[in-house]
Amino acid sequence: MQKQIQQQIERIMAKGATYVDARWYPLDETSSLTMWNGNLKSAHTNRESGIGVRVLYQGAWGFCASSETSDLAVVFEKALENARAAAERVTFPVRLAEKDSIQASFESPCRVDPFGVPLTERVAFLSRLDELMAQAGVEQRMASMDLMRKQIIFLDSEGSQIEKRITEVFGGLRVSGRDAQGGMQVRTFRLNRRGETRGWESFDPDFFAQQAERIVRELNELRTAENCPKEDRSVILLPGIMFLQTHETIGHALELDRILGYELAFAGGSFVTLDDFGKLRYGSEKLTARADGTLINSPGSFGYDDDGVPTQNTVLIDRGILVGAITGRQMVEEANARAHRTIFNGSGGANRATAFYRVPIERMTNINIDPGQDGTLEDIVQATERGIILDGDRSWSIGSNREQFHFATEIGWMVEDGRVTGVVKNATYKGATVPFWNSLSAVGDASTWSVQFVDNCGKGQPNQIMQLGHGVPVCRFDNVRIGE
Amino acid sequence: MKDNILHLLQTLRAYAVEKGYLVSVIYHEEDSSLMRFANSAVSLNTNEHIIRLGVEAYDGRRRAEYSMITGLDNLDEMKRGIDLAVEMAHHAQPLGYDMTIPVFKQDFADESAFDPALAAMSSEERLAFFNQAVAGLEEEELLLSGIFSSGVNIWAQINTLSEHTQYFQTTDAQISVVLAHRQLKWEVTAEQSAQQKADLNPEALRRELAFLVRCYKEQPAMQLPLGTYDIVLGQAAVADLLSTMNWIGFSGGAYKRGFSFLSEEQVGQKVFSEQFTLVDDPNRRETFPFRFDFMGMERQPFPLVQKGVFQGFMWMQDDADEFGMKPTGHTVPARSLVMAGGDVPVATVEELARMPRERDVLYIPFLHYMNIVNPSQGVVTASSRFGALLLKRDGSIAVPYNVRLTQSLLDLFGERVAWVSSVTAPYNTSSSYGERNPTAVIVPMFMQVNGLEISHSNSSY
Repeated sequence: MQKQIQQQIERIMAKGATYVDARWYPLDETSSLTMWNGNLKSAHTNRESGIGVRVLYQGAWGFCASSETSDLAVVFEKALENARAAAERVTFPVRLAEKDSIQASFESPCRVDPFGVPLTERVAFLSRLDELMAQAGVEQRMASMDLMRKQIIFLDSEGSQIEKRITEVFGGLRVSGRDAQGGMQVRTFRLNRRGETRGWESFDPDFFAQQAERIVRELNELRTAENCPKEDRSVILLPGIMFLQTHETIGHALELDRILGYELAFAGGSFVTLDDFGKLRYGSEKLTARADGTLINSPGSFGYDDDGVPTQNTVLIDRGILVGAITGRQMVEEANARAHRTIFNGSGGANRATAFYRVPIERMTNINIDPGQDGTLEDIVQATERGIILDGDRSWSIGSNREQFHFATEIGWMVEDGRVTGVVKNATYKGATVPFWNSLSAVGDASTWSVQFVDNCGKGQPNQIMQLGHGVPVCRFDNVRIGE
Repeated sequence: MKDNILHLLQTLRAYAVEKGYLVSVIYHEEDSSLMRFANSAVSLNTNEHIIRLGVEAYDGRRRAEYSMITGLDNLDEMKRGIDLAVEMAHHAQPLGYDMTIPVFKQDFADESAFDPALAAMSSEERLAFFNQAVAGLEEEELLLSGIFSSGVNIWAQINTLSEHTQYFQTTDAQISVVLAHRQLKWEVTAEQSAQQKADLNPEALRRELAFLVRCYKEQPAMQLPLGTYDIVLGQAAVADLLSTMNWIGFSGGAYKRGFSFLSEEQVGQKVFSEQFTLVDDPNRRETFPFRFDFMGMERQPFPLVQKGVFQGFMWMQDDADEFGMKPTGHTVPARSLVMAGGDVPVATVEELARMPRERDVLYIPFLHYMNIVNPSQGVVTASSRFGALLLKRDGSIAVPYNVRLTQSLLDLFGERVAWVSSVTAPYNTSSSYGERNPTAVIVPMFMQVNGLEISHSNSSY
């Protein structure tokens, strides 16, 4: 098959294309189980295979994908035809940043193949958790497990040939129950990075059981809690909401295609301009953020992106100053040309597609916040006069240029004079991105830092769901409006 | 094509029957095209031809699904998929209730929403459409973005309980045109939904864009003070709110699970404004409807709200089975929501701007990134985007920076509704997550709601 693909690449190049690549997925499989109130509502396996072809012709992209791989010439020809049509309206001819020709492979770290575990064993795992969560106060309980494996073979007209074998596991628990006013309260646990591999070994029954007991306990605290007050306070974000804050107001805001206006038709733009790199005080000096695709064991670490560029560890914000972005080969060339200076030294290796039938675009890798010097969670709480600890993402809404946001969390714990005084429900907070990050007043140490997995990041048209990670510590921000 | 697909389903059924299986087979095929624009260029031009086969297998109270993306002639792979689904069902855990297995009592084929002319549109035609929609409007600093997404969508079904099949074939197009200022970052949009090629009207898009561009270029920009405003919501905003309401309001399953702001006690009660009437009407071709649901139940117009009175929940089969309710024909990939027009004959933004008014009115055409803050109370939050206008009582117009609304759907469609446009049109609500699945909501062009609070106001574009 690789030989046939290579022949097609050469054939299309001979027709005038300046670049061609193909991603052949011999296998892309997901297996999902959802148990809801003791009912196995969904036991679903999905298997896909096919090829996606990109052609660059006179500065314009054409793409074609098909699950029919018996006649590759048709797919390659259609991609060229699409590029030719697109070339009728070009304003900034696409150029690709230099890269090495690479022959390599990548395999995600997995000790026990989750697909090798019998279905009955997987169902039994969820069933036990379901029983644990069936307690007083819990009206709805859900346990879920999603397994993914992909084999992707990438070839391009620059001589690269890369094979990736990626296994992902995601799992979660959720309980909900009504409070005294009839409002539904929710508490969730989501499986995150545990150790340096992510296979079936991630589904540690004792750990999941502890989490099940914890979320049930916290749900019942919520059911009798007061409403979150509407006022200004310090907010202390635990990793269960800090990841989302990072995701929405650093990650998406620093995707270079958004900054350059390539997502305006749908997802939106960014308040960041090319002039801001090296100058903008994005956050306080306590903030250092990075796009680290080299982190061991995370969905945001994938070896090589879909431009065939190795993943990298790129600093985005250095002690509060904006210095980097999430980039692929096309966008860095255009950004440097538009800015009339070299902002980016080559691709950051972050161009990815969710499936063979989608085109690669800039996606987050692991967008992480470096741990700080402000101690443990307890240390931060003790140093907080009037605050609220927040955890769990209940809803999120962000301005189209990522300039402001409104988040609802699952739970809040009020803090007065360095002590936790009680739980509040229906907690929300909001802010404007740059002032918010500049109000960052405490960053927890490594003991508070954990890698949160994201399996549902949406972007692009046609829309693509992507998996990635966020390594984040506990952080405190001052003078934040809550309860609205 | 239809004959080939139905023959394939019969072949797969025969295989399953011979093996003694109890299965449903769902075939989905999409032939999608997307021309995407950014920075006044075609940034992407794609085609995806995808065939998906889904198998649901039943074993007493056990069930499991296996799906695949495959080729039409990969019969052996499809048969393996059936075997695997049956094997999975055998190892699944029994449900706590009896499930209903679809039975098709007759063959049903609906190609009435398929238009060969739209299906055959070329890249050149799509580009010409866009060029016409923005003719004379682009400038060096005013850049074009947008999409022309169109395609053919086929669903076909069979199961082992009968030889009858269901077949649905539609064409659809979703067009959004955005003009955005490179430096100032303001952006305006015009959108169109089409089920047939004759629905396409680039000149209508151009007129709307021209008016909004003129406002944004000529009128002063301002940060709105926080507080309450009389707000006119445009078609896109109303459609987005109704789609959310469809999820956390009218779903019987969501209600039973505690995630609805409506309750059984409110059935027959006046919950909303008298000016609010909503029906799920599968007879409206502009909504890409399903006239039979995936259980084989014929769908009829289903009233949800009649002059503010809540008429009842929609029950899809699995929820109905679990909670002992009667299904209402809503086991479908998409519903056909139609909101009735009111009595104010205003069809365009330009007409809206010319309407006499006693107080300032904020026009919000589009709500960006809506999310549910509290489903029990129907509270949602979103930001304005794409061409908001402050229509002043003296007849002048100002351009506001974007603002955030955090409101209950009960307020947005409740007694604060001042008027509703008598002119309605389809608004395309398709998302392109996963498989192509066209959806549209028919909504009035405008709805004014008084006394809504703005909770955040941007200080720039």
